[in-house]
Amino acid sequence: MLYSIFHLGRNMIGVPIYTILEIVRSNKFHQVKGAPEVIDGLINLRGKVVTVINTGIAFETHKVVVSDESRIFIFKNNAELKELTDIDSDDDMSPDNIGLHVEKIEGVINVEKDELQPVPANMAHPFYQHVVRRGEDFIIILKPSKAIILNSTETVKP
Amino acid sequence: MNPNQDIQFNIYNPVITYEHRAAYDMIVSQLQEIFPICNQGKCKALEVTDDPQKQKQINDLMEKVEYFSDSLINITKVFFDQLYRAKEGSSESISHSMAKIKIDMMERSLLERTCDVRWWALEKAFWQCIEISNASQGKEAKSKAGAKTASASACQQAVDLACTRLEDIRSSYTLYRDLVIVNAHGIVVANSNADRKHLVLGLDVSDEAWFQHAMQTKDGTDYHVQDIAHSKIEEQASLIYATAIRADGDENGDVIGAMGVLFDFQGECQIILNDYLPKAANGDMLDGWFSFFTNSQGKVICSSDQHFIPFGASPELPRSHRHLSKPGESQVTTGIFFGNRSLLVSYHTAGFNEYPGLGWTSHLVLPIHAIFERASDSKVFGITPKELMSSSLIPAQNRQTYQEIQRNKGDIQLISINGIVLATDLGKAGKSFMPIFDQITETGSSTTGKMELLLSEMSADMLQQNLQALTNLSQQAIELIDRNLFERAADVRWWSTDHVLWESLQAKDKKHLEAINKRLQIINASYTMYRDLVVADASGRIVANSKVENHDKLMGMSVADQYWLRQGMQMSKTTHYAAQDVCDSELENENTSLIYCSAILENGQRSGKPVGVLGILFDWENQAQPILAACLPRINNEVAHGGAAFYVNRDRVVIATTDETHFPINQVVNIPTENVNLKDGHTASGLFSANGRKYIIGSSGSHGYREYKGLGWTAHVVRAID
Repeated sequence: MLYSIFHLGRNMIGVPIYTILEIVRSNKFHQVKGAPEVIDGLINLRGKVVTVINTGIAFETHKVVVSDESRIFIFKNNAELKELTDIDSDDDMSPDNIGLHVEKIEGVINVEKDELQPVPANMAHPFYQHVVRRGEDFIIILKPSKAIILNSTETVKP
Repeated sequence: MNPNQDIQFNIYNPVITYEHRAAYDMIVSQLQEIFPICNQGKCKALEVTDDPQKQKQINDLMEKVEYFSDSLINITKVFFDQLYRAKEGSSESISHSMAKIKIDMMERSLLERTCDVRWWALEKAFWQCIEISNASQGKEAKSKAGAKTASASACQQAVDLACTRLEDIRSSYTLYRDLVIVNAHGIVVANSNADRKHLVLGLDVSDEAWFQHAMQTKDGTDYHVQDIAHSKIEEQASLIYATAIRADGDENGDVIGAMGVLFDFQGECQIILNDYLPKAANGDMLDGWFSFFTNSQGKVICSSDQHFIPFGASPELPRSHRHLSKPGESQVTTGIFFGNRSLLVSYHTAGFNEYPGLGWTSHLVLPIHAIFERASDSKVFGITPKELMSSSLIPAQNRQTYQEIQRNKGDIQLISINGIVLATDLGKAGKSFMPIFDQITETGSSTTGKMELLLSEMSADMLQQNLQALTNLSQQAIELIDRNLFERAADVRWWSTDHVLWESLQAKDKKHLEAINKRLQIINASYTMYRDLVVADASGRIVANSKVENHDKLMGMSVADQYWLRQGMQMSKTTHYAAQDVCDSELENENTSLIYCSAILENGQRSGKPVGVLGILFDWENQAQPILAACLPRINNEVAHGGAAFYVNRDRVVIATTDETHFPINQVVNIPTENVNLKDGHTASGLFSANGRKYIIGSSGSHGYREYKGLGWTAHVVRAID
């Protein structure tokens, strides 16, 4: 399966390609008054309103700021995910399209099923699903369904 | 070259290096390969899905890829154009300042010469000799030819004394090939060069322009410079400074003769012209590099390569270079020079201070290929290409190109990933898109990666060129101060031989000591670079000084334990001198002192026992400051951001600075050790961080000048790059 990779501080995080609707440059956000800090704001994607979560704040590292390298991963909503015929997924996404604001993307990797390893206990985090080894590096595979429920609540503590 | 000109990049331009031509070809051909791939993608979209929305999305993506590829091809051209222009621009600027440095250096030296001749012409031995010679020649004309008169031996004695004093001057100021004094009839009566005495004495120079002009000078402050011309006095072309010798050494007295000093122009020029020219490992000058001066008629007066550009030749320079006439006017062009495509730089003298110069022009020629030679990797200086690219060393437009390339790289990456997202949505049918997007990703990162490499190469070159420019400036700073201090070393040696000094010290009475005070006052009034001149007797007590305000404080003061006095009392020859490095001295109240000293020898002999010491207190801060200010790095005549220049002594302490805030005087300097621990005449450059800023630095160690050996100082020129 293909995974798109982004950077979070020193870590590399992967999300399954099939859950992504599109990746766009981050630019301006429409601020939402009273929204929790983890929400960067709203963006308009060809008529769709997308709520954008700041990945840095969500993971309690550092706030991701708009730069030449920053991007937004826009995830499919439930309906869009169900339309996929060839994908066998039990992920339950949000009814709306949600975006993750990340500081830098890396590219796409193909990971075979047997490469997916459980997250070591000392790294356990509700958003993490698996760990993949690539040479000297580890890539954390994210469970998007967990990460994107943040939009309706305050920051979820692990 | 105007940086705003339209793109001129042409792959067939011979200055483009083979490596760059290959890189350009590869980038463009890889980008052009993307167009058929995109067409293939558009066709496949129709093949694998009936969904018009999906078809449109794929189509849009392919068009975006085409757009960015096209944009990258254009940026590549712009980028190469900028790369070459940046190198050319920076080389032009460095070459221009090099041509200027050379003529400035010469003019400063020539200005000193005008002071020398006016001062020496007042020497008692000379006007007395001329008076006797004029009188005896008049008598000889009246008496029978060959008949010896009673005054002949008096005349011979006067000539011998004049010759001795001229020799003393020449041994103190080694910049002169000969010095002559000429009587009113135009006959050379004394000279300084013993080897040529038999050829020079008795010569009639009454028909030579320098003599005629000297005899017409208004008063003791007036002088004449004879531009490079042939004189009977020597075989090679001469540059002669001349003034009148007046009755009783009075500045306003009647003209009784003339003094001419023949400057070692060729020797001096050779040092200056060969400076800053690159040399091969065996020490030979690199081919294709030339430096030469032309006079106001456009004729060569000295060159770094006599074989190609001999004296008197009219070099094949473009008309615009030959007709420079306004002070400071310059011209930079490219053209063919002795078969090489070269950068030609010409700079017309602006004189120095009140000295207007003789209308000479400095020319520098370097082969074009030298401009585009590869520099070393910037990593050796401990700075990453990315840091360098965002530094102030890189021109704004190059920084923009870098950002544009980065942006396009990001866009292509984004399109590829979104394409893969789309292909995934198409399920199994979408798999056939994968190789297409893989290819797009691969091409995108490969081409932009190549461009980033070229950008880092360019930034490394810019760094190298800027370091070279700073090194040249630091070399100029140390050479100017070395030359200046050489003059001081010459002054102190010559003044210490003055008859008033030794006669008075030996007489030891009040009347005589008062005479030293007066003599020192006259000397110091003629020069602007000394704060005070002091004479101490053999016991180490000060007996006279030039500055009236300090007189009461200094008289009788014991300086026996001071370095300059101890050094002076150990000397036994008039050619000896010593310098006490910049420090606080009780001889002065406010400023730090730089003291030059020489022994006053018994009976005014050339070697013997000291009867006292002459110490001259150089006006260090006020003389060093303008030199450093002239060596600051400039961009369009403005001092570069964070630019500073300073001198450091052998104890690593700053002794003069243009930036009292960041590199203060009397403090140990905070720059890398390798820049301070320089061997004589060696240079170093690099990067360092200090005061919360990142700097680039060029440093040069003193290698002295002629007999002046230097005091182990180093000069440093820096500019901030963040």
